[in-house]
Amino acid sequence: MSGAAIVTGAAGALGKSIASRLRRDLGAVLLVDLDEQSLAGVADSIGAHYVATDLTSEQAPAAVCDALDQQGWGVQVLVNNAGINRDARAGSMTDENFTTVLRVDLVAPARLALSLRGRMGAGASVVNIVSRAAFGNFGQSNYVAAKSGLIGLTRALAIDWAPDVRVNAIAPGLVDTPMTAGMPEKVLTRMVERVPAGRMGQPEEIAEVVAFLASPAASYVTGQTVVACGGRSIGP
Amino acid sequence: MTAPFVHAAPRGVGIEGLEAALLEAFQRLREALTAGRPAVVIVRDADLLGHGDPADAALANGLLGLVRALATEGAREQWIVNALAVDGEETDEAAQDVWVQRLSEPVGVTGVLIRLGDLHLGRVPV
Repeated sequence: MSGAAIVTGAAGALGKSIASRLRRDLGAVLLVDLDEQSLAGVADSIGAHYVATDLTSEQAPAAVCDALDQQGWGVQVLVNNAGINRDARAGSMTDENFTTVLRVDLVAPARLALSLRGRMGAGASVVNIVSRAAFGNFGQSNYVAAKSGLIGLTRALAIDWAPDVRVNAIAPGLVDTPMTAGMPEKVLTRMVERVPAGRMGQPEEIAEVVAFLASPAASYVTGQTVVACGGRSIGP
Repeated sequence: MTAPFVHAAPRGVGIEGLEAALLEAFQRLREALTAGRPAVVIVRDADLLGHGDPADAALANGLLGLVRALATEGAREQWIVNALAVDGEETDEAAQDVWVQRLSEPVGVTGVLIRLGDLHLGRVPV
């Protein structure tokens, strides 16, 4: 059984870049997202297979497994990239927005990783996409808790699954995607000013870090969180 | 000084219990902070490092994130919210009480993690 890369949230800009990059290294890529129309477009453009499913549903892991079985694929790389935010100050944060973010950004990736463990052989790798915001951010108590929790999960699974499977995380900072492009220009300018690199990151730059962590070049790296934020996490 | 609100991380909630556990912590911390009370969240250092159950690790780190997010947000209102990592069964309860009090004092410390014991030595910052 050959191994594929699974990329969740693959219909988005970052997910597409990650999937495209892993396609070069692994060949077999399975894209996962809720948005079937966009997903089909991405799959077509990079030559990948896809499964459209709601990762927060209890049936999602089975849907992913079915798609793998159809191709006769095992799991070489799992990239838990799907994520959402529902920002609000603590005082106006609703319970629904708090738990929805936790469900998508923390519970779903945990469930998927645990469900796929039996399909991962020696040398497989999991990469969880967290965020620089996991170290604390204004108006994102739900998102910060979820992404920080995912860092904890990364460490625990890295210990549990060693030496066969490596588990790491990447904490991107501000990345140039349609979501950031939709921000008010003044806000975005102020945010970029706080990045020592002086610019936003490109999705392809994050994808390169994913590719490194997923590859044999990182064979001695597990349980770690790589912060790819242009220096924002150390900036003034 | 107002009595601190202390929230100890529950253990054994499992992956499916993470949402409820983090929501409850958020609600209680928000209620305490907006009422002007300092708050301290107690977690196990071993859970922060990922030693043991994955859900316990996710919860401990999620709570630490919550502390940092609320400290960031409440800086102007001078919210005091900190985290204390203890060493499980080995923790000296008197030392724990001392640090809960210290982390609740209005001395300009917020969003901070104090790690009791020596488990953190030689390991990654969390």
